[in-house]
Amino acid sequence: MSFRTFILGLSASFGAAWLAIVVVPFITMRNLEPIQLSEANDGSTGIFFPKRTGRIADGAKVYAENGCYLCHTQVVRPTYAGNDLYRADWGGLKADPDRGDTRRETNAYDFYGEKFAQVGVSRMGPDLSNLGRRVESEYASPLEASQWLLNHLYNPRREADRWKSTCPPHPFLFETRKIKGNPSDEAMPFGAEHGEELVACAEAKALVSYLLSLKKDQAVPVVLNFAPPKAKGAR
Amino acid sequence: MSFAIQNSSDQDALLRAGIDRSLRHPVMFFMTSGAAWLAVSIVLGIIASAKVHRPDFMSGCAWLDYGRVFPSHINALIYGWGFQAAFAILIWLMARLSRKQCTSAGIILTAGHIWNLGVSLGLVGILSGNGTGMPWMEFPSFVWPVFLVAYTAIVIGSFIQFRVRPEGHVYISQWYLLAAMVWFPWVFVTANILLHCIPGHPLMAAGINAWYRSALIFLFFTPVALAAAYYLAPKVTGRPVFSYSLAKLGFWSLALIGPWAGMQKLMGAPIPFFLPYVGAASTVLFFVPAVCAAINILRTTLSSPEVVASSPSLRFMITGIGGLVLLGFAAVWLNLPGSTLPLTQFSLSGYGFEILAIYGFFSFVMFGAVYFIVPRVTGREWLSRRLIKIHFLFSVYGIITVAAVALFGGLQQGMGQEEWQQPWQGAATRAYPYAVATTIAWCFILFSNVFFFIHLALMWLRLGRRSLHPTLLVSDAHHGPGPHGEEGDIDNAGPGHAVAH
Repeated sequence: MSFRTFILGLSASFGAAWLAIVVVPFITMRNLEPIQLSEANDGSTGIFFPKRTGRIADGAKVYAENGCYLCHTQVVRPTYAGNDLYRADWGGLKADPDRGDTRRETNAYDFYGEKFAQVGVSRMGPDLSNLGRRVESEYASPLEASQWLLNHLYNPRREADRWKSTCPPHPFLFETRKIKGNPSDEAMPFGAEHGEELVACAEAKALVSYLLSLKKDQAVPVVLNFAPPKAKGAR
Repeated sequence: MSFAIQNSSDQDALLRAGIDRSLRHPVMFFMTSGAAWLAVSIVLGIIASAKVHRPDFMSGCAWLDYGRVFPSHINALIYGWGFQAAFAILIWLMARLSRKQCTSAGIILTAGHIWNLGVSLGLVGILSGNGTGMPWMEFPSFVWPVFLVAYTAIVIGSFIQFRVRPEGHVYISQWYLLAAMVWFPWVFVTANILLHCIPGHPLMAAGINAWYRSALIFLFFTPVALAAAYYLAPKVTGRPVFSYSLAKLGFWSLALIGPWAGMQKLMGAPIPFFLPYVGAASTVLFFVPAVCAAINILRTTLSSPEVVASSPSLRFMITGIGGLVLLGFAAVWLNLPGSTLPLTQFSLSGYGFEILAIYGFFSFVMFGAVYFIVPRVTGREWLSRRLIKIHFLFSVYGIITVAAVALFGGLQQGMGQEEWQQPWQGAATRAYPYAVATTIAWCFILFSNVFFFIHLALMWLRLGRRSLHPTLLVSDAHHGPGPHGEEGDIDNAGPGHAVAH
């Protein structure tokens, strides 16, 4: 075999895969067609656009820099690929007071505002696709959701029922400062000596805002709705 | 030294010595620097692994946060140790097989230092909280062009050596080395440009990252290790490679299968349906090139059991090939869609598989090559067979533990994850003993590599034994004169001065 044949063979075998699974999918998914909603099927018009509110770009950067993706995923897999959807609060809420069963699998429009979908490496901790939903409806009360998250970030093992959590503490996202005049509204309820207060840094606030934006259980158009027929009745 | 060398002409021996001398500085630099990065990465790995089962360990320090220390560990292992070991073997092997002295040692050394600078700055970047959050690509984005330029400077000489080689047989090792030299930049540039420079869909970015990770293992570390193994097996035993056709099958099956793997890590994610399935299928099919190469190399060595027993190079290389067989089985066992893939997709198995590939297969073969190359390049023999044995034994203990974690621990953890009726705590609890096992495994591996680094550093400083007799794992005092003459004392005054018993 000549050198030229060798290089040709190598390039062909690699190039085929490179085109088929890397380049062409990348190019086609850059311009994902937005889904048109139809009055008849979906009950409204316009395009399907799962809105996300919060500091997504800043928060995603803090999420990436601190390696949260190593232990948390952000993908709710369809039932052929795993049991994620069966859990009561991963794909949405099983018993949302307003909408009933809102659980759904992740779709391609769910990562709006992020450059790199933090699908995640492993699940030492639970999936975070609907963390915002979970915190607001289950974990936080009576606290405010963002306060609960800040408490959790500072030391995940503070709460009695999470004493076995292996989530790392993030005290470096907070700072202790002297109280000037009156204590600040946003001071943490613990962690500081007399005369000082513990406050979340900008990074912690951005991260919390991002985490609260993780609510991926909006109603989806019919073309994206893979729920079994019985569940489709609930809207 | 192989038995076949007795028949080579003096001219050939002089040519080989000249090649070795020309490569002494770059090869020793890459090996010693790589071994240092290996030790650093293992220390980081121990800290990271300890934090999985003891999260408050060193928790006051932001730089040692798990989310920063773990990526530092893996990136130091890959780019600090893995690539530098690969460079050492690549430049030496290509020079020897192409019968050409190295004329760009200065450029290679400079590029090597630049590579080191890149790794150091990258690690500081991750630990200080400026990582990119893309697995295996966490170095801040200024690092990758530095790596690309340094890489090109390091391997271009080897590519040219191949092109101007004298007429004759092209060795199997040379196919694998050439392939690695073509595949890596293609993969590296693609992944970095599509993830850093061209905006695209966030999920495809994640998919291409998964493809990149798989491609590094199957299309760079695997071919470089196989090149070294296909050289060591016939060279040390003096027998020809068992089957040329099997070698061709192994190589071309790797070329056809390897590039498709990786995206099974995104099974169930909303990307085009065929991508994860093709990824899973090709990872499972990796079994074919793995087993072909393993059979070929092991059958080559089977014919000389006494050489296998005594040669440190062969012992490490064969263990590495055993790691390859295990990797091939693990690739099948862990990636079956519908049965094991949902369990292993987000579990410890991923990390275990990667460490099995990088340490259990690639590193062991690299160690074998190091134990072969260093005496030739420095003109000294290894100082102590005991140091070699400690390096071997403790690394084996460690890697067997890691393999068990990957194959069983990840499945256990995955089964816990899939028990959707149980609270999440159950799944996390299942992982706990395997996390402890991983920390212990890394401790064993650190212990072994401290000895390796010390031994290697002493050789680098030219403090090895001056002797005609290589340091073998069994003393042949009972077997009469071997091919090197009578076994003698440590011969530091030079050949011919020691008294033989």
